[in-house]
Amino acid sequence: MATHVDTLDHEHYHPPGLQHQFEDMKQQEESVSIGMWMFLVQEIMFFGGLFTVYLVFRSRFPMAFAAGSNHLDAFWGGLNTLVLIVSSLTMALTVYYAQKGNRNMQVILIALTMFFGAVFLGVKAIEYTGKYNDGFVPITGLNKKVRADAHADHAAVAEKPCYEVEHGGAEHAYVNPRGDFQWTDCSLVKLAEDGKYLTDAEKVGYFSNGQIDPNKFRDKVRIFFWIYFVMTGLHALHMIVGLGLMTWLGWKAWLGTYGPDYYMPVEMSGLYWHFVDIVWIFLFPLLYLLGRHFMH
Amino acid sequence: MAEKHIEHHDEAHEHEHMNIPKYFGVFAILVVGTVLTYYAATIDMDWIFPGANTLVALVIAFTKMTFVMLFFMHVYWSPKLIWLAAIASFFWMAIMFAYTMQDYVTRGSGVFTP
Repeated sequence: MATHVDTLDHEHYHPPGLQHQFEDMKQQEESVSIGMWMFLVQEIMFFGGLFTVYLVFRSRFPMAFAAGSNHLDAFWGGLNTLVLIVSSLTMALTVYYAQKGNRNMQVILIALTMFFGAVFLGVKAIEYTGKYNDGFVPITGLNKKVRADAHADHAAVAEKPCYEVEHGGAEHAYVNPRGDFQWTDCSLVKLAEDGKYLTDAEKVGYFSNGQIDPNKFRDKVRIFFWIYFVMTGLHALHMIVGLGLMTWLGWKAWLGTYGPDYYMPVEMSGLYWHFVDIVWIFLFPLLYLLGRHFMH
Repeated sequence: MAEKHIEHHDEAHEHEHMNIPKYFGVFAILVVGTVLTYYAATIDMDWIFPGANTLVALVIAFTKMTFVMLFFMHVYWSPKLIWLAAIASFFWMAIMFAYTMQDYVTRGSGVFTP
């Protein structure tokens, strides 16, 4: 007992988890959280650049963006939003139980967080596969290659003007031997032209000689799909990093590392996880839901 | 020993801001926000002004983000410096958006197209 009191009185007594360069736990916790927030601010700047690209091109070609967005599956996007929100709840509860020192609940909740993170990535994989099959990947050669003999009726489809091809109708009936980016739906441009709300910039972007040019419109939709793949791809990369973080955190929690005295790694990993959730909260309406009100 | 006990008590007390019902309350708000975003996107609001749908979607997204940041990320009980970092990053984004757009919207209709 005497030695214990000695160590308590000693100037350099270190509670478990306190790094030697800090005076006490409070100073360490503040330094750690400020460091983490500086990292998150950089992440906001990083995604901010991508959102700027989105803003510039969408303001220029709103109808091409709406058309591209209408060919994303809002069901999968919405499901993934809910999945991420649930994972944010389990993450927040992990921090709560880490502060309480409840090892079992930490491990269970980290496992649940990882499970929902994996479900998110699985849904993303289903979506990307669909884009691959439909020819919506904006890089030539990375789409499913369809030979001419695969669709006997493709000639009939190809003869139709772009704006008469219905949503979801004849989308798959095309030949695509090189795996090009394919676009056959100009219905929104037609709608906007009839409603007289195409901007001058859009007319320059979509029309040749006063007529809707499917090739020019396809290139504008292609910009949307570039932005879609880059933004959701980098978001998915953050999810993968988050799963790695959770693997490490789960192992440390299993060892019983965290309790009321020392839980900052859990709290900081939580900040990262919630940040990734917040990015998706913006990506979902901005990518999946714009122009949905045109679909009646 | 007594000192250590008091220290524990204080620290435990410090983190009693959130409890399980409150966490589930924030979660419920986020779920409602998601359903609302989807529903709002299916209604044509262009008669109010063009882009009203996007504004509504962004207002809901910002509300959801605020709840996540304040309560899941504990910003509400964080030092002033954390508040400053969080808010300043959005000012930075606003500046980037504003200055980029004031360039692009004043360039005329031929931008990005020959």
